[in-house]
Order: sequence, then structure tokens, then C-alpha cells
Amino acid sequence: MSPSSRPTAVALLISLAVTGSLCLWAVAAAPDSVRPALAWGAGGAAVVLSAAVAVAVQARANAGRLRARLTSETQRFTGEISRLVSASAAEGQRFTAETARIKSASAAETARLRSAAEAETARITAHAAAEIERLTAEIARLTARATRSETERSAAVAACANAAGRMQALATSMLADLREMEHRHAAEDVLGDLLHLDHRTAQAGRLADSIAVLTGARSGRRWAKPIVMESILRGAMGRISGYQRVRLHSTSDVAVAGHAAEGVMHALAELLDNAANFSPPTAEVHVYVEEVPAGIVLTVEDSGLVMSDVQLRRAERAVSATDQDLTGLSGTRLGLAVVGRLARKHGLTVAFRPSARGGTGALMMLPQELLTRTPVPAPAPVSRPVPEPEPTHGTAPAETGTATGAAAPTSDAQHPQHAPAPAEPATPAPADPTTGPAADSPASDTTGNLPRFGESGLPKRPRGRTLAAAEARAQAHSDDATAPRPRTSDPKEQAARFSSFRQAVRANSPHPEEGNTR
Amino acid sequence: MTRPRRPGRDDDPDRLYTLTGGRSRSDSDAFDLVTLVVSECEPTPGMQSEHVTILRMCQLPTAVVEIAAGLGLPVSIVRIMLSDLLDTGRISARHPRTARVADRLPDPEILEQVLVGLRNL
Repeated sequence: MSPSSRPTAVALLISLAVTGSLCLWAVAAAPDSVRPALAWGAGGAAVVLSAAVAVAVQARANAGRLRARLTSETQRFTGEISRLVSASAAEGQRFTAETARIKSASAAETARLRSAAEAETARITAHAAAEIERLTAEIARLTARATRSETERSAAVAACANAAGRMQALATSMLADLREMEHRHAAEDVLGDLLHLDHRTAQAGRLADSIAVLTGARSGRRWAKPIVMESILRGAMGRISGYQRVRLHSTSDVAVAGHAAEGVMHALAELLDNAANFSPPTAEVHVYVEEVPAGIVLTVEDSGLVMSDVQLRRAERAVSATDQDLTGLSGTRLGLAVVGRLARKHGLTVAFRPSARGGTGALMMLPQELLTRTPVPAPAPVSRPVPEPEPTHGTAPAETGTATGAAAPTSDAQHPQHAPAPAEPATPAPADPTTGPAADSPASDTTGNLPRFGESGLPKRPRGRTLAAAEARAQAHSDDATAPRPRTSDPKEQAARFSSFRQAVRANSPHPEEGNTR
Repeated sequence: MTRPRRPGRDDDPDRLYTLTGGRSRSDSDAFDLVTLVVSECEPTPGMQSEHVTILRMCQLPTAVVEIAAGLGLPVSIVRIMLSDLLDTGRISARHPRTARVADRLPDPEILEQVLVGLRNL
């Protein structure tokens, strides 16, 4: 039994003894009628009382024990708290000290860093200032240089343009001179040399034109009239070195307006030059002209190198209307850039594609605005004027180049419808075309290399079949001219007629002294 | 078509050497200044315009110089074009006389007699 429960047990025993004795006394003293009830009640009450006393004693003992324990615990806590308080106070002091130390250290560090940063900033600022100064000077120098080079560039371009313009003028006047000389000198050797010079000059002119186009100088020659397509093609062809390899296929009678003709010819010449230069030296370059609703398409086809896709694209870019800068210009390939400039100026469309001939095809489209139609030419011989035979003309026109005036009566004397009477003395002109060929011998054919000669050595001039047919044609539309003219008795007119006959007979005589035989 | 113009004037863009393909002499001597030329066919489309003009002019017999004057071209150039046409049979040519005959020309005295006789007609 625990010591705490011992007083409880004692109190229980005491109370049991007291209450038991009291119960016994009360039962003994009570009458019998209530004895059992009293016994039970008293007994129960005694037990309850005893239990209550025991519980009370036990509770009191418990309370005392708990109180003692509370006291001891309180003392222990107090001690502990005081110990902790003192410890925390010490800790606080230590912390404060540490804080102060760190603070001072950080202040020092901050000061050091600040000074260092300030020094660095000052250094950098000075450096940046120096750099800015240097860069400013550099910018100023570069600006000056750019300005100078810009000035130089524009001056060079202007000089080039000026020189090209003069070259153009020179080439044009040289070409005019050469053409005049070509007409003046009939000797074949001289003419050959002149044509050679003409060709060279035309090429030089094209080069000058190219430079003029690239430098934006005034355009070349302006034609006062529309130029027919055939002349355009031949004019372009005549400006390249390999013109003999160019084959033209054109049935178009369209003409190009005079202001654009030179540009079109130049652009076409550049395309032709490309085609001729990039194809084998014996291959032909073909030019086709096709009329489309939007204008005229000129196709230049060669059978040379096939351009790859990249090259085709590059070429298209070079001739496209957007890229007009001189920066993409290479030193040797001016052609496509020139074509591009001209295309933009005149609204031409240029495209490249692989050619069916195995090489490259270049297409150039001329818009309708540049084109005009030429009137259909009238047949020439009908409207040809009939010059009167010149009776006083005595010199033989054989060896002179400018024999136009002398030859006119000569040939007219051969035409019976123009001068019928003088032809009669040689051979009577057949009035009926059907009898003409039949009357002549078959040896006198039309080629003229089989002339017949009489006994006197005088050549007979029998009419050939062609001549007779031509005469028949002439008679058909000029009946009034072939009406038999009444023989005149005027000796002057007779002399005039005979003079033309004489010239006709003697026309090719290599002996000029025969002019004195009249 | 006959273009009325002064010969030798530089008012056409096509150069003379492009008309003949660069030749300056004809390989045939079938033509001299007074050779008569007659066209044998009509011009066909696609022909060189000078050839067309020659064929139109020579529907009647025409002398070489006259053709040259009508075309406004030098005679040598015209001669080359005519030999091209002759080679293809588009024209025929007739000489008033050939160079071979020129060597045995009739005696000037005979000619003079003929002249006198004719004048006395």
C-alpha cells in the first residue's frame, strides 16, 4: 500500500468503525418494526459516509502533494529563467559588439570601394573623353574623306559623261563622213577599207553610247523619223564585232519612234554582242521579230553557253528596272547594266531563258507606245518619172562612180515605151508581144552573156524573152505611151532621139575617145 | 520603194556593210554600170527591203546605175546585192555588150559612116 493511501485507509477504517458502532447502536435502540429498514438504511448511509470520508481524505492528501510539487516546480522554473536571462544578456552583449565590429568593417570596406570606384570612374571618364575626342576626329576625317570622294566621284562621272558625249558626237560625224566617202569612192578596194573603218567606228560609237548611258549623260543621236524594224535590226547588228554571224528573221513593217530608236538599237546591240561573244565563233545568232498585242518581241537566240539558273537570275536582276546602281558594275561586263538602264528609260521588258537552239535566248519587248506603222510602199516603176533624153550629153559614163545623171538617159533609151523612136533603127520594137520572142532567134536569151554580132562587128541587140515580157507588162499599163508616134521631120528632134540611141549602144565603151566619133 | 534622198547622207541607222554582210566586192563580174536588170519574180515577205525594192524597180529593165540611184546606195554595194539576186535566179541581167567584145570594137570610121548615113535619113 502506497504511503499516500495510508491515511485514506485509516480514515476509512475509523469512519467505518464509528459509523458501524453508531449503526449497531441505532439498530439496537430502534424498535423491531423499523429495525431491518433502519439496519439497511443506516448500513448504506454508513458505507456512503465512510466512502465520502475516504474520498475526502484522499483528495486532501492529493491536494497537499500537488501543492508541494507545484512549489518545487516553480522554484525550478524561476532558476531556469534567471539562468536564461543572464545567458541572453551575455549573448546580447556579444551580438552588439559583433555588430559594431561588422559595421565598422563594412564602413571601411565601403569607403575603400567607393574611393576605388571613384578612381575607376574618373579613369574611365577620362578614357571615354579621350576616345570620344579620337572618334570625333575620326568621324570628321571620314566625313571629309567621304565628301571628297563623293565630289571626286561626281566629277569623274561628269567627266566621263562629257567625254562620252563628245565621243558620241565624234563617232556620229565620223559615220556620216564615212558614209559620204563610201558614196564618193567607187573603187572596191577603197570601199572595202571604208566599210571596215565604218564598222570599227560604229563599234566605238556603241562603246561611247554605253558609257554615256551608264553615266547618265544625254542620250545619243535622236532620229527625226520613225525607223523601220529592219533598219533597227541592221543598225543594232552593225554595232557589234561579229555582225556577220547574225541572221535576221523579220517580216514586220513596224517602225520604232525616232526618240526611242537609238535606245532600242543600242540595247539590242548589247544583247547581240552578248550572244555573239558567248557562243562559238562560228555559230550563228538568230534574231526573230514577233508582233504581240502588247507590242513587239525581239528574240535573240544563240547556240553557245547555257546559262545556269543562277546566271539567268543574275542577268535578269542586272537588267531589271530596280537595280540601277553603279556599285554592282564589274569592269568588263557593261552590257547588261546598259540594257537595264535603257530598258528603264524606254519601258522595255527584257527576259532571259534557255534557248531551244542550245544556248541562251534573250527576249526584249517593245511596248506599243514606241511603235508606229509605216505606210505600205507603192510600186516604184509606175511612178518613175520619164526624163527627156539629153542630146548634148557626150561623155561616156562608164568608169565614173557618180554616173547617175549620165545613166538615166542611157537606160531610158532601152525602154521603148519611154523613147520608142530611137530604138527603131537598131531592131524594130515588137508591137505585139506575142510576135516578139518568136521573131528572135532562141540564142538571144535573157541572160545577156550571149550577144550576137553582125558582120560589121556591131552588136545586134535582139530582145530577150524577159525583156519582151517586161515590155508587154509596160504596154499593158501605158497604152498611150506605146501609141505609134508620128515620125517627126524636125531634124533637132531626130538628132536627140538618135543621140540617146547612140549612148545606149556605146554606154559601156572602155574607149573614151570614141565620144569624138559623132 | 524609192527613197528620195541625197545619196551619201547619213540619215539611216543601218550601215552599208550590214546590207552586204561585210562584203565589199562582188565575186561575179556580171554587172557593170549599164547592165540591164529585169526581175524574174515577185518579192517575197521576209526579203531584205533593198532586194524588194530592186525587184519592184526592175519589173521594167533597169540599169544598175539607175537602181543604185533609186536606192541611194553606192554602185558597188548594189552590185553585190544584184549578184546575190542573180545567184538565186530572182533577176536576170543583160549586157549591152560584154567586155570580151570591147576588144574588137567596130572601126570608128564605120561608125562615123553609119552616123552620117543615119543623119541623112
